[in-house]
Amino acid sequence: MKIGTPKEVFEGEARVAMTPDSARQLQKLGHECLIESGAGLAAGFSDAAYEEAGVEVIKTAAQLYKAADIIAKVRPPSDTEVKRLGPSKTLISFFYPVANEELMAQAAEKGATVIAMDMVPRISRAQKMDALSSMANIAGYRAVIEAGNNFGRFFTGQVTAAGKVPPAKVLIVGAGVAGLAAIGTSTSLGAITYAFDVRPEVAEQIESMGAEFVFLEFEEDQTDGAATGGYAAPSSPEFREAQLAKFRELAPDIDIVITTALIPNRDAPVLWTKDMVEMMKPGSVIIDLAAERGGNCELTVKDEKIVTDNGVTIVGYTDFPSRMATQSSTLYATNIRHMMTDLTPEKDGVVNHNMEDDVIRGATITHEKEVTFPPPPPKIQAIAAKPKEKVKELTPEEKREMEAAAFKAQTKSQVTLIVVGAVLMLLLGLVAPASFMQHFIVFVLAVFVGFQVIWNVAHSLHTPLMAVTNAISSIIILGALMQIGSSVGWVIVLAALSVFMAGINIFGGFLVTRRMLAMFQKS
Amino acid sequence: MEFGFTTAAYVVAAVLFILSLGGLSGQESAKRAVWYGIAGMALAIFATLIGPGSGLWWLSILLIAAGGVIGYIVAKRVQMTEMPQLVAAMHSLVGLAAVFVGYNAHIELANVMSMDQEAKYALDGFAALLAKKSGVEIGILRVELFLGVFIGAVTFTGSVIAFGKLAGKVTSAATKLPGGHMLNATAAGLSLILLFIYLGSGAMWALVLMTLLAFFIGYHLIMGIGGADMPVVVSMLNSYSGWAAAAIGFSLGNDLLIVVGALVGSSGAILSYIMCKAMNRSFVSVILGGFGETGGPQMEVEGEMIEIPVDGVASALNEADSVIIIPGYGMAVAQAQSAVSDLTKKLRAQGKEVRFQSTPWRAVCRGT
Repeated sequence: MKIGTPKEVFEGEARVAMTPDSARQLQKLGHECLIESGAGLAAGFSDAAYEEAGVEVIKTAAQLYKAADIIAKVRPPSDTEVKRLGPSKTLISFFYPVANEELMAQAAEKGATVIAMDMVPRISRAQKMDALSSMANIAGYRAVIEAGNNFGRFFTGQVTAAGKVPPAKVLIVGAGVAGLAAIGTSTSLGAITYAFDVRPEVAEQIESMGAEFVFLEFEEDQTDGAATGGYAAPSSPEFREAQLAKFRELAPDIDIVITTALIPNRDAPVLWTKDMVEMMKPGSVIIDLAAERGGNCELTVKDEKIVTDNGVTIVGYTDFPSRMATQSSTLYATNIRHMMTDLTPEKDGVVNHNMEDDVIRGATITHEKEVTFPPPPPKIQAIAAKPKEKVKELTPEEKREMEAAAFKAQTKSQVTLIVVGAVLMLLLGLVAPASFMQHFIVFVLAVFVGFQVIWNVAHSLHTPLMAVTNAISSIIILGALMQIGSSVGWVIVLAALSVFMAGINIFGGFLVTRRMLAMFQKS
Repeated sequence: MEFGFTTAAYVVAAVLFILSLGGLSGQESAKRAVWYGIAGMALAIFATLIGPGSGLWWLSILLIAAGGVIGYIVAKRVQMTEMPQLVAAMHSLVGLAAVFVGYNAHIELANVMSMDQEAKYALDGFAALLAKKSGVEIGILRVELFLGVFIGAVTFTGSVIAFGKLAGKVTSAATKLPGGHMLNATAAGLSLILLFIYLGSGAMWALVLMTLLAFFIGYHLIMGIGGADMPVVVSMLNSYSGWAAAAIGFSLGNDLLIVVGALVGSSGAILSYIMCKAMNRSFVSVILGGFGETGGPQMEVEGEMIEIPVDGVASALNEADSVIIIPGYGMAVAQAQSAVSDLTKKLRAQGKEVRFQSTPWRAVCRGT
């Protein structure tokens, strides 16, 4: 199959979906690679570099669309690009099918297969082709760099001959992939970093990245990310209020705010309101990574950098990955390459579009003239482990009832045992002679004592106890000792042997026990 | 010496044994408890030696001393890690001793019964005791010694196999002969039939044949149990030998033997039960040699254990924020407690969180 990558037509887009490196890998799968002339230029890859990697450079986009079977690109296709697709073509790109429903229908009509990189299910097997994550990672990193660029001070605190510099305080809202990348970058630059997320289970991840989790005192069954495939779910108005109150409390102290809070298929929630911006110190910076969906900050202007009246810079760029085109192209091209690896399992250059495969099925939004979006839920669910079901607290009445029932059952079983035992005893007593019964009483009592004594033994003492019971079981020596005085020769020999063997066990057994116990002694 | 003194000594010895077992339920009292056990044993032997029915006391003392020296040397020399199998090995001796004592009782009984009335009056000691027994009592006696020999024989071969499995000399996998549990059941059934034959005739061959069957049961039963369950098995065999001692105590009319046998028997059984609970294993399936085991392999081990060298551990510890230490039997054996505590202090000084996780199942498996 021929895989072609056109130049991105979207204004300002610098990324490219194929790099010379990824082309080499794709060729190993048996594919041929084509690229539109100048497609990689903005990302730092010249046509010559592609040619060297064995990629055929094609003059115009129209020719490329004609020649290639599979089109790999970054941004969702434009109307013209969709028109160029045909029945045998496959398009791999970001698509955002919810927002671009019309475009999707159009593509389906054309008979093209569209694989949306943003629809790759979030399961561990598909992480290598999760382009959203790799782009978010870059966005998170870039957000901190952008903030530093607009922030007039150091991130890290310093004590210099020229005076003391306090460290910058950074707040990161939303600890998804971008948020965590931002935390990592910010802490490694030396800023005091705080992070907040509505999903309580990410607190540990936040702390492991070196930031402080902003803890919210709120009594509610917070939805776990596991239920929504690892994404945050909308929170209740009460929760939102508590959250905003917390942010208001923090706002005057914070120098840099990076917001990354997005809820799938919804407008970004407003978390940093106008009054919070007004509370911030002049020179502070807000980077709004959610600007594309309206922004987490009330004052964000999409694709622009503004400075408020009180001197707070608000950056609403939506093209952070494009601003680091070389890095993001490399990662994105690798994501595409992994997708192609899954699509060509035999590595023979033949695409096997397996709609039974969870990952391929999930990402495919049009196939054979049908719109196949939304996909059925993946067979493998959940990223984070579900929290354990809480055991229901019993009311005092229920507890009392249960105790009473348990007590009754216990009494019942005990009484039954005693009655059965007593009857058996009586039956035995009818036949057995008195001398036997005398010994029998002793026997039964001893059994009881043995049971009672052992019940509460500590776990760690099981083996010493085993050793001591072994030593004590040498009591059989008494029998041998009583017989050794016999007049029959055989009896003497056997009894002597028994005494000898029991002797070994008595000394050995007790010594072993003592050595075992010595291990527990505090030295 | 007076019979009363022996009985009195027996009472004291029995109390000491109970205290010994009870004391082992706590770590501090355990040290004392061993001495109670030793004192009880010494008292019991002393009282029996000077009590009625015994003779050749110098030979007995000599034999005990000789056995004691061997036992002492073996127990002193053995590696800490080999303790469980040593217990199993020594335990097989108790089983064999029980078989011998049972046989003695049989021989003596046959001997006494062949005597005439006058010769019987001339007897003393154990034989005299036998001579006084009535018909029914002799029947009961036979059942008791038959049981004693049976359990003793099972204990003997069972302990030998348990030793082999713990020492790695016998494959630790659960293996069964073709026929599996049916073989055990058949052998047990045959033994029961032999019991009735023996009860009726007092024939030596029935006793011998049953002993052989019991040897087989002991062997096959324990072969069918996996190596990881061996500590439970050893404890269970302890319990068996306790019951054997009690049964023989009945035939000899010795109350201390009955009391201590029952103590060991019941405490061993309960201990095995508790151990099974701690390891999350089914008690019945363990003691009956994997009987009714439907689960197949115990647990699939998921993932892979990767061993890392010491410097790898050191750098991992250096980088870690939170460390969990799971102390095992090996740590106790290596006397590494203080080293571990130093390590803990050092790590905590670096502001790392150090926690300990106790693992009862592992401790039991490894024999701590």
